[in-house]
Amino acid sequence: MSETAATTTGTTLRSGPGRLLVAVYAVFALAATARGTYQLLTRFDEAPLAYGLSVLAGALYFVAAVGLARAGRTSRMVALVCVSVETAGVLAVGALTVFWSAGFPDDTVWSNFGSGYLFIPLALPVLGLWWILKVHSEDRRETPPAS
Amino acid sequence: MVDWLTMTIQMVSLGVAVWCLVSFFQDRPMLVPHLIGMGVLWLLVLGQVGAAVATMVGGDRPDELPMLISYLATIALLPPACAVWGFMERSKWGPAVIAFACFVLPVLLVRIEQLWSPVV
Repeated sequence: MSETAATTTGTTLRSGPGRLLVAVYAVFALAATARGTYQLLTRFDEAPLAYGLSVLAGALYFVAAVGLARAGRTSRMVALVCVSVETAGVLAVGALTVFWSAGFPDDTVWSNFGSGYLFIPLALPVLGLWWILKVHSEDRRETPPAS
Repeated sequence: MVDWLTMTIQMVSLGVAVWCLVSFFQDRPMLVPHLIGMGVLWLLVLGQVGAAVATMVGGDRPDELPMLISYLATIALLPPACAVWGFMERSKWGPAVIAFACFVLPVLLVRIEQLWSPVV
């Protein structure tokens, strides 16, 4: 555990708004993974692409939640990558489902930009990006790079 | 499943959510009364989960059983997990976590209701 090395950054990334972000990410990780896995297992033939994407989204949410909660320097980068991929994912899948609905016979978490989930899947990565970058810049201002 | 219990849980849950939102906007951290509220909510949820399990053991099972069980497990774990996570945060963001959890809980109960007695 790199907890001691990352005390200052460690507390900021998972405290304040980060605390809420981790909770939302955890719930969405569970929702997307459970839904996708169940659909893959029971109805694989109907819409493998949609169900696979749900599982992928769930996995991304999970890694992002853990990255935010662990809050070290490395996990911050991991969370940043995850959240970026998510942003791309929700935009791409959202656009695809709107313009090429034939490819998606069944919905994913990201369908129509997450409209089935109150557009939270669209807002979540944006808020995540904002929070990680904010903590990152504050952290750089407080502690000048060592060596 | 006990119908009036579902109703009660949804009402209590939304009540706690609004209460925590007020605390959030008043810039207050999560305090013991919030925790007691979550405790009461959790007991109600556990009662409902217990009733559902008893009915299922009795032989009355819905079609999508694995899905229902995973939803039941989720609602049983959501209140304590979020209460602990929110209580650890000593700022206004603690109540924000609880408010989120308490808005999600009624939605989960609606899904459970749909799985239990699907409208044909």
